[in-house]
Amino acid sequence: MSEKNKTMMHELPVEAYTSQEWLDMEMKYIFSKTWQFAGFVEDVAEPGDYISVQAGLNNIFIVKGRDHRLRAFHNMCRHRGTQLLRAVGKAKKAISCPYHDWTYDLEGKLISIPKREEEFPQLKGELHKCGLNLHEASVDIFKGMLFVHPDKDAPSIMEFFGEVEPYLGPHIVEDLVEYSENDNEPFYSREIKANWKIVVENYIDHYHLAHLHEGTLNMYDHARAEFGWAGPHYWFYEPLVPDYAKDVKNAAPYPLIDSVPEDKIGAYVPWLFPNIGITEGESSWNSFHVIPLAPDRTLVNIRTKVMNVSEREFTRQYTKSSMHKLWSHYGNKGKYEGDPETDPMASGDFMAEDVYACEQQQKSLYSPKFQVGAQAQRGEYAISKFQSVIKEWIEKYKDQ
Amino acid sequence: MSKFYKLQITDLRKETADSVSVAFDLPYELYNEFNYKAGQYLTVKFTIGGEEVRRSYSLCSSPVMEEPLRIGVKKVKGGLVSNHINDSLKVGDTVEVMVPEGRFTADIKEGNYKTYYLFSAGSGITPILSILRTVLFREPRSYVHMIYGNSNQESIMFQNELEQLQEQYFDRFVLVHSLSRPKSKWSDLWKSSKDKPYLKGRIDKKTVSRFIGEYPPYAQNAEYYICGPGTMIQNTKEALKDMDVPGERIFTESFGGQTEGADQDAWENATLIAHLDGEKIEVNVPKGKTLLRTLISQGKNPPYSCEGGVCSTCICKVKNGKVHMKNNLALTDEEVADGYALSCQSIPLTESVEIVYE
Ligand SMILES: Cc1cc2nc3c(=O)[nH]c(=O)nc-3n(C[C@H](O)[C@H](O)[C@H](O)COP(=O)(O)OP(=O)(O)OC[C@H]3O[C@@H](n4cnc5c(N)ncnc54)[C@H](O)[C@@H]3O)c2cc1C
Ligand code: FES
Ligand code: FES
Ligand SMILES: [Fe+2]
Repeated sequence: MSEKNKTMMHELPVEAYTSQEWLDMEMKYIFSKTWQFAGFVEDVAEPGDYISVQAGLNNIFIVKGRDHRLRAFHNMCRHRGTQLLRAVGKAKKAISCPYHDWTYDLEGKLISIPKREEEFPQLKGELHKCGLNLHEASVDIFKGMLFVHPDKDAPSIMEFFGEVEPYLGPHIVEDLVEYSENDNEPFYSREIKANWKIVVENYIDHYHLAHLHEGTLNMYDHARAEFGWAGPHYWFYEPLVPDYAKDVKNAAPYPLIDSVPEDKIGAYVPWLFPNIGITEGESSWNSFHVIPLAPDRTLVNIRTKVMNVSEREFTRQYTKSSMHKLWSHYGNKGKYEGDPETDPMASGDFMAEDVYACEQQQKSLYSPKFQVGAQAQRGEYAISKFQSVIKEWIEKYKDQ
Repeated sequence: MSKFYKLQITDLRKETADSVSVAFDLPYELYNEFNYKAGQYLTVKFTIGGEEVRRSYSLCSSPVMEEPLRIGVKKVKGGLVSNHINDSLKVGDTVEVMVPEGRFTADIKEGNYKTYYLFSAGSGITPILSILRTVLFREPRSYVHMIYGNSNQESIMFQNELEQLQEQYFDRFVLVHSLSRPKSKWSDLWKSSKDKPYLKGRIDKKTVSRFIGEYPPYAQNAEYYICGPGTMIQNTKEALKDMDVPGERIFTESFGGQTEGADQDAWENATLIAHLDGEKIEVNVPKGKTLLRTLISQGKNPPYSCEGGVCSTCICKVKNGKVHMKNNLALTDEEVADGYALSCQSIPLTESVEIVYE
């Protein structure tokens, strides 16, 4: 076996960003121990609707009962473990396993087994009292988002998010509607060739905003940013630059979100531990879901919401904004000269810039010469703090 | 065991034409004993027409507010105690009161994130109001969705208080009134937008399922509390069960009042043998009297409090013979099969009946 790379990022060793062993630990002690993002409330709108999601090591389905309350179960037959439900759909009164047709009701109770008397004489009495009901999980709603937790008696979701809630944007998410080019697909979805924590650290890095994104995110006033931690979560706010603020009504790309009072307009960009960011802006609201696929591969899904207005009004705002003079020196200029189609650094697109930076950083982690030179005490404080929360969480559960 | 304390009435408020609320002064040294949970009731004792009677009344005050113990009492037609309280009591009177009891309570904690569905009708508002105010005050993140059924606009108890709560907690508290015989006045032709909308009819299955469809739970840890007269509880509970609400999330409180099934004829002048506090008592049961009443009229001290078949304080075991319970809202079928009975509701069906207070 090769020598382990003990070089430190800040709080974590470099191998935490490159090894399968670390990802396995994170899956077990972080992703299977926290409330995990599972979608928007409207994904499970009607009684009988269900979705299934991967939350760390657990595949969990959420189904809405006839009482309009959500239930969550581990998506796994109690017979020999076969996955019960596929991605999304509408359940009838019962859920049958495709393998041997064991059947459960929507409360997760086992209600029938083919050839029960002949094959399973040991299962006596009422089936749902035989200890073979579906394993229950927890589901709840926070800010219009669904979250699942693999434990039936999980700590309340508000115990988890309560501390950071006051720092989130005043947006009433339930009143907004999802915007996507293709139905049933996230607004943005992309596999990034970097460890998931590299992506998170990029998201919470204040220092890079004025540099990597000097031509793409300069409509926000980074110098006036405020940020900090609340529990395991990071919060961040920055106002618009005065030029933009002055005429935001006409310059904003989409109609302004009306639940945000004028004096509160800005960008709220918190990171909810461990892997869901939200970007609450002046005219759009986004969830930024980071899903680890491998030590060096991460899927990012962004879903976006906008004001619930007519197509006409939407187009009018879009046209008004695209002709607005503000955007000639804000928001879409590449850092370098080049072909915007092929060079992310010339694209004028901040996501492309971030992906580029993450992938370039990941590549260097394998170099024997790699080392973190120094840490910006304010602008990069969040990065080492995030790493110490990761460490804390793993240590907390590792010995249990 | 069933110890009574003399409490003085400090306030008596007319809530509607046929109901009052009564507040008691609690001396400092009784604070601990009278500590209560939202949803619990007091049992009061009066001697009316030479007979000692006890009745239970739910507390409508909240244990987390700095406020006196308060009950709300609605007149029952021909009712002994409810009319006495409404018509004869005055501020300054003392009333004999037992410490708060009851299992119709919610586990209300600051950190909770829940949706409470509250269903109440008529005087059933009392424990519901206590739970409602306690939740809104104590659980800043929880939601309350409530239906309150009454016969008309004028029979709504605690109307001002409810309106105030609606204003103060508009973002977490939904209240829908349901009126079975709403009064329509000629002025309705000019109905202003200020008038509160209401559902017409009794709280039934359709009302319940529509209400929940319209106000689905936001916090997913939902609980359902039901309190009201007669069949309202059963109807609401069935409606919830029909919608697959799990039984362990439903909580009910019955005030008694309805007698189930056909009345049975008692065995006239049957002999009662009762074992009570180590004593063996043998008496005849006079016509129309329950086993409990028979013992009380003999000067004995059997345990009881609600005398309505609800609280099960008066439970006894039938050793010999058979009894009929006029009303049973406390014992399970299994307990009845095992020979348990509520003595406050039992009349003898055989020539001789032997019971034990365990
Ligand atoms: C746990 C508990 C909590 C209670 N809380 C309250 C409360 O907060 N406010 C309140 O007003 N009452 C409450 N009650 C009901 C109360 O205890 C009495 O039963 C009620 O006031 C009637 O007593 P009464 O002496 O006036 O009538 P009674 O003289 O006992 O009865 C007269 C007639 O009315 C019928 N009747 C008895 N009770 C009722 C009833 N509840 N509804 C309709 N008909 C009835 C009887 O069958 C009888 O025919 C509660 C009961 C219980 C068991
Ligand atoms: S594995 Fe599901 S029925 Fe056999
Ligand atoms: S005294 Fe309450 S049930 Fe008999
Ligand atoms: Fe960035």
